[in-house]
Amino acid sequence: MDWVTLIPLLPALAFVVLAPLSRAARAKLVPLAVAAVLGSLGLSIAAFLAVWPGGHGEVWQASVTIAHIGDRAITLGLALEPMSAIMLLVVTVVGACVQVYSLGYMHREDRIGWYYAVLSLFTAAMLALVLSDNFLGLFMAWEVMGLCSYLLIGFWHEQEAPRLASIKAFLTTKVGDLGFMLALAVVYAEVGAFDFATVLHHDWTAGTATLVALLMLFAAMGKSAQFPLHVWLPDAMAGPTPASALIHAATMVAAGVFLVVRAFPIFEASGIALTITLWVGLITALLAGLLAMVQHDIKKVLAYSTISQLGFMFIALGAGSSTAALYHLVTHAYFKSLLFLGAGVIIHAAHTQDMRQMGGLAKKLPVTSLTFASGSLALAGIVPFSGFWSKDEILAVLLHEHQYVAFAIALLAAFVTAFYVARLWFRVFTAPTQQEDLHEGHRSMLVPMVVLAVITAVIGFFGPTLGDFLGHEIPWPALGTAAISTVAALGGITLGWYVYGRRTSVVNTQALKQRFPHAYGVLANKYYFDLTYGYFVVGGYTTLARALATFDARVVDGVVNGVAAAWRSLSAAGWTFDGRIVDGAVNGAASAVRAAGDKVRTLQTGSVRSYQTLIAGAVVLLVVWILVKGA
Amino acid sequence: MTVGLPHVLTLAALLFGIGLYGALSRKNAVHVMMSLELMANAVNLNLVGFSRFVTPEAITGQFFAVFSMVVSAAEIGLGLALVIAIYRRKRSVELDAVQELKG
Repeated sequence: MDWVTLIPLLPALAFVVLAPLSRAARAKLVPLAVAAVLGSLGLSIAAFLAVWPGGHGEVWQASVTIAHIGDRAITLGLALEPMSAIMLLVVTVVGACVQVYSLGYMHREDRIGWYYAVLSLFTAAMLALVLSDNFLGLFMAWEVMGLCSYLLIGFWHEQEAPRLASIKAFLTTKVGDLGFMLALAVVYAEVGAFDFATVLHHDWTAGTATLVALLMLFAAMGKSAQFPLHVWLPDAMAGPTPASALIHAATMVAAGVFLVVRAFPIFEASGIALTITLWVGLITALLAGLLAMVQHDIKKVLAYSTISQLGFMFIALGAGSSTAALYHLVTHAYFKSLLFLGAGVIIHAAHTQDMRQMGGLAKKLPVTSLTFASGSLALAGIVPFSGFWSKDEILAVLLHEHQYVAFAIALLAAFVTAFYVARLWFRVFTAPTQQEDLHEGHRSMLVPMVVLAVITAVIGFFGPTLGDFLGHEIPWPALGTAAISTVAALGGITLGWYVYGRRTSVVNTQALKQRFPHAYGVLANKYYFDLTYGYFVVGGYTTLARALATFDARVVDGVVNGVAAAWRSLSAAGWTFDGRIVDGAVNGAASAVRAAGDKVRTLQTGSVRSYQTLIAGAVVLLVVWILVKGA
Repeated sequence: MTVGLPHVLTLAALLFGIGLYGALSRKNAVHVMMSLELMANAVNLNLVGFSRFVTPEAITGQFFAVFSMVVSAAEIGLGLALVIAIYRRKRSVELDAVQELKG
């Protein structure tokens, strides 16, 4: 069973091979990355079959000890159990579809090789995240994904918007990651281990559990773009569309939900954390849905829709059903990546992301419109497409838990969802044609979409099977809730058709905007979140940074320069001392000797007769001395 | 009259004085060397005189004089060779012509 390790390892190897190469060499090796993810897909299917029929704990586990702290060992490991098997399939299916699709979508890019390298690294990290058997490994993979997200959002870094968006996404999710790190610290202090088995079966007191759960919830809110940390995801649409499909719709943003699902026993031990999760989800689902109604950029609509749908997953978690959340995560991953891939084809064909300039694409792009319809109906929650089943399960859980207010809000969000889906669909596909020169996407782009569309259409029928596989129950929808949610969805679609779908528009949206300027202003400015963050957080930060820069320039640089100047004058004094005193002494001694020598040399006349005279004189003096002193 | 030590010493002193005068006054290198020989032989005369009149039994002084004469002969040979060498270079045996060692 050790081949399970290969599932995250294959794409990671693809990254390791591609990353150090030149641009041209990387571009040639793109098939390698695709082969790696297809290999992972094959192994994931094998892993799924190995777990089948599931319903119990882990099938395979392996770990290595990476460090010892005192007598505690820190281990990193992978474990295969039903939930990770499901997630493996989701990640590899969507990942493989996106990589195949990108062959067509990105083939004109110079840096396609780098794109594939990062995509592979991302896939490896996500696979490692779902396989990880401990919080530490999960956190590492989580951070790698944050990096990949940053790299892919900023892929077109020659332009300003993607560059700023990538920084915004990285920083915003990093704020959430702070919660994760603190949670890990608390977990280690409380339990002394990171692996799920030990941590989750720990006897949590309500207080500590609440602390850990809220910190993890904060991390999840950053990663899954939940209110109020949702601001980065719409901007993240500046990245390549297939990357958005994989990262900012289907998998990475689901990591936050996945974390809460993993840590669910801690949330259950807390209680209050569940209530907070529920309300975070409700607020996000409704507010993001309302924002999706007023966007003109097709990718932004899908981005807000993603935030809203992730909100639904949090609602399920808050209502106490991690199974329903996971179910919606799986269905959403398939249909949302499908919608994004469809949006990519539409953008390629229409050469714009503005829905007001599109129209009549249904005739020109038949395959895209059919597959897009599958995804749209799933998102709106129309039977039998996947979104219907999972959303219905969430609504049923809310009713079962007697959360009637939450149920009403969720139903309203579902209605809003159906409305903006209808708005998108009718504007893009059935409104009067504005462009003539429209072409269907390349086959390599259409095949993944068809695959995803088929999965979206049929996966709902496997809900109960999935429940059994996970060891929980996912019942068939009760007729009552199904009817209510279908009415809400159909109502939304009908209203959307009434406003946007009919040939002769009876509702003047422009007049509505003028009639309710404040409401439209609030929505158009995205509830002023960006402005608030820009003013208080970024503004405060830059003010502080400026103050620090001034402090740096005046005080720190002053001290440094002062020390340097003092040192310089000290060494100048040393130089003078050296030149004057030391050299003076040496040179003085030398010149004294020279002067003495100059005097003495005159004795040496070179004349033999003077020497004779000297000798004779000396002898005479010697004799006189002897005579005077006596022998 | 008998010749005594004072006579010998006086003669030696006279010889030495003549030699010293010659050595200091002559310019010719050969003359200077001849004067030096006179001074050396005055000393030899002293040695012989002291030996004869102070310690007649031992002949140390006379013996020493013979040694000194041999050394003087060698010395004069060397000195004359130098004079010839100087003459070859300078075409002169004047002492004033040789002043290379002037400091």
